[in-house]
Amino acid sequence: MSTTAVIERTVPTTRGWELPGFRLAQAELLKLRTRRGLVLTSLALTVGSVIVAYAILLVLHLTDPTGHGPAGGSQHFWNGMYLLTALGTMAAVLIGATAGAGDLSAGVFRSLVSTGRSRRSLFLARIPGGLALLLPMAVLAYGVGAALAVGLAGSLPQPATVYLVESGLWFLLYMTAMFLLALGVSSFLGSRATTIGILAGVQLLVTPLVQGLHHPGVGAESILGIALWQLAPKELQNGAPNGDIHMSLAAIVTVLVAWMAVAVGAGLYRTIRRDA
Amino acid sequence: MNTDSSVVETEGLTKRFDGKVVVDSVDLRIPRGSAFGYLGPNGAGKTTLIRMLLGLTEPTSGSMSLLGRPLPRERAAALARVGAIVDEPRFHGHMTGRQNLLMLAAAREPAAHGRIDGALARVGLSGRADDAVSQYSMGMRQRLGIASCLLADPELLILDEPMNGLDPAGMLEFRELIRSFVDEGRTVVLSSHLLDEIERTCDAAAIVDRGRVVMQGSITELAGGQARSLRLVTSDPTRSSVIASVDPLVEQVTHDSGDVLVALRPEASAERAAATISRSVIEAGVDLYELEIEHASLEQRFLEITSRLGVAA
Repeated sequence: MSTTAVIERTVPTTRGWELPGFRLAQAELLKLRTRRGLVLTSLALTVGSVIVAYAILLVLHLTDPTGHGPAGGSQHFWNGMYLLTALGTMAAVLIGATAGAGDLSAGVFRSLVSTGRSRRSLFLARIPGGLALLLPMAVLAYGVGAALAVGLAGSLPQPATVYLVESGLWFLLYMTAMFLLALGVSSFLGSRATTIGILAGVQLLVTPLVQGLHHPGVGAESILGIALWQLAPKELQNGAPNGDIHMSLAAIVTVLVAWMAVAVGAGLYRTIRRDA
Repeated sequence: MNTDSSVVETEGLTKRFDGKVVVDSVDLRIPRGSAFGYLGPNGAGKTTLIRMLLGLTEPTSGSMSLLGRPLPRERAAALARVGAIVDEPRFHGHMTGRQNLLMLAAAREPAAHGRIDGALARVGLSGRADDAVSQYSMGMRQRLGIASCLLADPELLILDEPMNGLDPAGMLEFRELIRSFVDEGRTVVLSSHLLDEIERTCDAAAIVDRGRVVMQGSITELAGGQARSLRLVTSDPTRSSVIASVDPLVEQVTHDSGDVLVALRPEASAERAAATISRSVIEAGVDLYELEIEHASLEQRFLEITSRLGVAA
């Protein structure tokens, strides 16, 4: 151990301007993007799933053109979106749960708190940090899916530009909402695995089950996934198994805001109050 | 830099968990520019006190200040110049040492980024800075923990059991590093159950037991002040014992297998007693092979204090 290097002593400086929390958000992104397993799994669930789905359709079409039409077109775009939404949700949950509980499970949270930085800012930095990893993947996956749907449409009708733009924006909203839900829940529980288990169960089992019911009963509208599907472009909704649920825009926004407020609020509250 | 004489001050600081008192009305003053030991057996409440100072857990009652700033009101400003390791240094194992420091520097002032290379060099980790922390030994993690403290350019370093997991060479290096921080004017608070390390490294200490600070002062004061006994090795232990026993500075003499142990009166000067007894022994024709002034160790004092507390309980 060398004792020759001397640390320069300085006083805290306020020179220069920077976006509040920008460096913390960068650090959050660094923590997430260096998790190779998380990045590869999320890429596989988003970009990978789209490529595999269209590759299968293409192979089927090339080997049996009469039995299987072109791989692209509106119908396959819808299929691709449904698949991407289901699997992309899992990527959002993985990234959100890791962003929420990663510091705590590694024992690093106490080191961050010991710097004097407010717990609120430590929590809030997880949002842009996590989205900075998730949203580029979501954009890439959606872009690939949309390009393949158009490029491989052949004689089939192509999805309209407005439909593509609306679907893309809706998909990003869906991913963001699922990320925030996972972030809040994992920050509250302090456990990545438990959060993934709970939200995977809700998203992959409960939501599709309720969506598939013709008479889902009172309260089905309060399920986040169902409310989010109500916001999707009509062309997407027409094919989705939405049962008999029809919600007003105000009801959708209320459900969405309520879920986000409760999840993020609970995560923030627990981050501020917990013993580090 | 704050020039108040105390860097840590607590008054009546108390923490209860589920009705059990873990830190019991602690009044502590840690002098600036020293290596200060916070010494106590496992479970004495050392880490809990540190966690309260760092805002990791809230006290049940009492007041505290760091670097002259009251907590929790000025916590952010106070901790901006404090580097701390609590329990053991923990990092994201999947990230490199440098990336972990980048992550921690982001929570500090912008200048902290510029201190990363210097901090890594200071602890001898420059060559392994780009390896994943999961590949680090415990000693390397401890060094990285110190490097993370240096990102604050700290006036105060709080190190909780920093010698845990270090081999003897690592402990020696760590001791030198701590002394070098003190030489630079920084204050180092060393929490440990290792008496020997506190005695070798620190200028002053507080002894804590069952959540209470039972004694604080310089190491010499804590060890019982001046020396209390002499040990002689002579050619005739029996005659030497008789000679020593008539000295007015001596309280009691015993001898065992050639060694003569001379207990001194409380007011006696050990050096003066050594001079008169050695002269008397030699003048009596006894060969004097060894004469040693025995200082009470912190360990003896610590065991006396904690044993007494144990009996009292």
